[in-house]
Amino acid sequence: MKCLRQFFMLSVLLGLLGAGSGLALAATPAKPAESPKDLILKGDAKCTGCHDEADDAKPTMLDLHPSVLSIGKTKHGTKADGRTPTCTDCHGESEKHLAYRGNDSPPLTDRDFRKKTKTSAAERNGACLDCHQGGNRIGWQSSAHSTQDLACTSCHQVHARNDKVMGKATQTETCFTCHKEQRVQINKPSHHPVIEGKMTCSSCHNVHGDNPKQLVKNSTNETCYTCHMEKRGPFVHNHQPVSEDCSICHQPHGTNVDNLLKARSPLLCQECHSHDSHPGQAATLPNGTTNGTGFLGTVGRGCMSCHTNIHGGNSTVNSATAGRFRR
Amino acid sequence: MKTMLKTFRPTAMSVALMLVFGPALAEEPNVDELAKPDSSISVGIGNWSADRPHEGVYDGMRDKGAYGLLDADIIKRDDTTGTWLKLKATNLGLDAREIKGEYLRQGDIGGSVEYNKTPRDNPYTVNTGLQGIGTTNVTVGTNLGSFAKRDVDLGTTRELLRLGGYKNLLPGLDFKIDFKNEDKKGTRLAGWGSAALFSVEPIDSTTRQLEAMLQYTGKQLQLSGGYYGSWYDNHNSLLLQQLNGVTGGTSASFSATTPMSLPLSNQAHQIFLDGGYAFTPTTRGTFKVAYSMATQDEHLPSYDLTGANAPFVGTPSHLDGRVDTTLVQLGLSSRPMPKLLITANLRYYDLNDKTPLAGFVGNNTTGVASVYNTPQSYTTTSGKLEATYRLPENFSLTGGVDYSGQDRSQPSVGTVYVPFRTEVNETTYRLQVRRSLADSLNGTLGYLHSDRNGSSYLAANGSSPYSNQINPVHIADRSRDKWRAAFDWEPLDKLSLQLRIDHSQDTYPEDGRPYGMRDGSAQLYAVDGSYAFSDNWLLSAWYSLERTKARAVGFRQAKDGSADAVKDSHLKDVGDSFGLNLRGKLTARLDAGIGLDWFRSTSSTAQDLTLSGAGATYPTAAPGTSGPLPDIKNNLLRLKLDAKYAIDKSSDLRFDLIHERWHTDDWSWNYGGGSPFAYYTGTQTCTGCVGAGYTGVVDGTTVTSNKTQSASFIGIRYIYRFQ
Repeated sequence: MKCLRQFFMLSVLLGLLGAGSGLALAATPAKPAESPKDLILKGDAKCTGCHDEADDAKPTMLDLHPSVLSIGKTKHGTKADGRTPTCTDCHGESEKHLAYRGNDSPPLTDRDFRKKTKTSAAERNGACLDCHQGGNRIGWQSSAHSTQDLACTSCHQVHARNDKVMGKATQTETCFTCHKEQRVQINKPSHHPVIEGKMTCSSCHNVHGDNPKQLVKNSTNETCYTCHMEKRGPFVHNHQPVSEDCSICHQPHGTNVDNLLKARSPLLCQECHSHDSHPGQAATLPNGTTNGTGFLGTVGRGCMSCHTNIHGGNSTVNSATAGRFRR
Repeated sequence: MKTMLKTFRPTAMSVALMLVFGPALAEEPNVDELAKPDSSISVGIGNWSADRPHEGVYDGMRDKGAYGLLDADIIKRDDTTGTWLKLKATNLGLDAREIKGEYLRQGDIGGSVEYNKTPRDNPYTVNTGLQGIGTTNVTVGTNLGSFAKRDVDLGTTRELLRLGGYKNLLPGLDFKIDFKNEDKKGTRLAGWGSAALFSVEPIDSTTRQLEAMLQYTGKQLQLSGGYYGSWYDNHNSLLLQQLNGVTGGTSASFSATTPMSLPLSNQAHQIFLDGGYAFTPTTRGTFKVAYSMATQDEHLPSYDLTGANAPFVGTPSHLDGRVDTTLVQLGLSSRPMPKLLITANLRYYDLNDKTPLAGFVGNNTTGVASVYNTPQSYTTTSGKLEATYRLPENFSLTGGVDYSGQDRSQPSVGTVYVPFRTEVNETTYRLQVRRSLADSLNGTLGYLHSDRNGSSYLAANGSSPYSNQINPVHIADRSRDKWRAAFDWEPLDKLSLQLRIDHSQDTYPEDGRPYGMRDGSAQLYAVDGSYAFSDNWLLSAWYSLERTKARAVGFRQAKDGSADAVKDSHLKDVGDSFGLNLRGKLTARLDAGIGLDWFRSTSSTAQDLTLSGAGATYPTAAPGTSGPLPDIKNNLLRLKLDAKYAIDKSSDLRFDLIHERWHTDDWSWNYGGGSPFAYYTGTQTCTGCVGAGYTGVVDGTTVTSNKTQSASFIGIRYIYRFQ
């Protein structure tokens, strides 16, 4: 501490030896040191006295060093909203941290949100849930993410101007930190437009909820219908697995087969259908043009070349084929 | 300045320092720069060197050429009132453009409006003579008059308009409303239905969704309830497919006009209430109730058809479709001891299809129906109990059991094509050891075992001896074992490594039914690493190997010269992927990054045939078939370079270079010999049709997959930042 003061005294002397204007200014009697003022939040002075602009990560730096003051750019930095917390509401009163006067690292805050924290996930989450337990986070404690010890800050960058997990183009960076399988699937030839930034994981998943598969709606199909409502029916001729669960035939994260199908025709269809005649055909390609149903189960649209309305049909044509999704 | 005391803030000494080092310090950001919302506008131009039919399906840059690059992220906040004004525009120069404006007086009232366009271009080249594409009347050529073929572009566009609103009514009580209107237009590759001819479905529909809710958030009690309505309005309800120069017909199997029904307008209304209550600081209960009613009561458009396509005499003109869904869910989460966490969940989900039964196909003379509509109902009751106990050394042990039981309605009339179960039950046991909060090595080791079974099968109808010898995959008995190991290792502050290994194995017992899925397995190996050389340099890389296998057995009946055979299919998908990113700061003004993505997937559909009786391995009748199928490999390589140069404090120039290579040997649209598949042209009987000299159709449509795609992108943007 002493050497620090000496350094600054030396700086003052250097300043006095500086430009004329400097001399003029230095000649003015020094005012007594003022108490630090709040920089962003009500009562933040006791924190921002040290965590000030000089201490902060610079906008020019890469995103390796979290900025403390950038919380001012976020909703948590909107002081006019009476609900906005201050530093200690989330980090705890942290008396030891505040009282420390040494040169090395001070004791940690009461609630520590750094990467290698010793504060339990439940305790860290408590800071957020004090305000954010409502809405689609009502079921958080029963969610798969919560029971796997994830903290809100495992995914959210609370101080960042742009919280990656909230951005369409960047959300997957966070999700793929754990969900490696989906990182591969989403890059397969047939996929939802997630890597293109038109959808996000949270378009389908409420990651704070306790629905099965943490979906935004109460079932797989209800979730799919939010964009694919034409599949909802009810149809005159329903295809049983379709109305039960889209994921029986589709892998929504991506596959090597068109339309996100889990397997190619006729192999996919033959996982349920075992009949005589053409439905049992082997997986082969025809050697030339044909309208023979025994040759067309694999090529092109395969079985769906004729069974076009595979999701269900509304035909009243008096033909048994209508009931087989061909009208 | 972690160790600098607050007394050293704006003092005379620091003022003096400013005088000496003023010019340099003037470059440092002030508090406003760091803590006040900022905005940016980006304007530029980019060029793709070639068409990207596969990689450009969704991003609005499928075609070779120049594109405008225009983005904006404008944020203003009035600190006095806490009022935000936001405008975010993305890809304004592209077909995939988005723009959203938002007003929010934080904690009081807010609203937003958003426009979002999503193209989906069909990646294939379609060459066809089909007329009327995009309309509800398409015509295929016949020997009486064929049509010149040309390339057509198929695809859809979604345009979403979204309005949102928010109002705080009382402390802790908010009202939220969200309305979405999405128009979807375009075309989709389809089939004729009555024959394997090329057809195109016209898409022109509007989807609307409205969600209005009240949310209360108190210290102990939270409630969220409201209404969710959704409406699907299809502006096309029936596609009529015509044979050129032909009318009439007496057989519904194939007549001059083949009607293809399209999805009909439908709607659903849901009321819901979710709640949570903290009984104590360590015990919390939740509930969720929802009731939905979905209906489809449109006039069935094919009801008005006549001749061969006329309806059965007993057919109703409306379906009167109605499906009611009820959800009741209860949850409990408690820490009865500091080291013990218990979570439990009970769920009842009932989907009740109340659509009345009616005959839709039958004998017009006797009035007896043979095909009915097919309402299906399900009730799923599930429960979960899980306990986690904290052990020393940051370890914890989790054990859990899940149960799911499904009651499924039994089809009472009509033809059942696939054996059916009225009950399907599954029980899952889980065990996991986890280490968290440790200094350098954390992770989990988990094991899961589940058993699925159900009631005895109801036999499928019909004379096929094979129909009742299969276990349908989604209701078959199944035993599943799954192991998972995940490690996060951070030996240094700058270095982190992740390792993930998943393995699962499914077994489907035969139980006297020889056909269906026999077994399946899946593995995932993934390793990720990142190293921060400094605050300004970061290297990250990852590799994943994903492998899935399935073995299914089926029966092929002798047909077209082939013999009876037992098919033993071995399906395998292997995906390798690798990513590398290096990002750094080259100079005070220049940031740059280089990235490499590589994905390779291989699909194998090997099938062994064990023949019995007379006949060949594959059909010998013309045109014959080729098998077994070769493997399919897809490769994608993407190399990305970007650099951002700071012109001054408020403006940057950004350069992007992307090189993308895609290759596939997918045979889906090929004949056995590798030449492009063509839809049928030839004799096609049309019983009772009117059209002198008609003998058959002239289709010949080809659908070609562009097997190799190589394209490069160069882009430059000027970015202006301001507050």
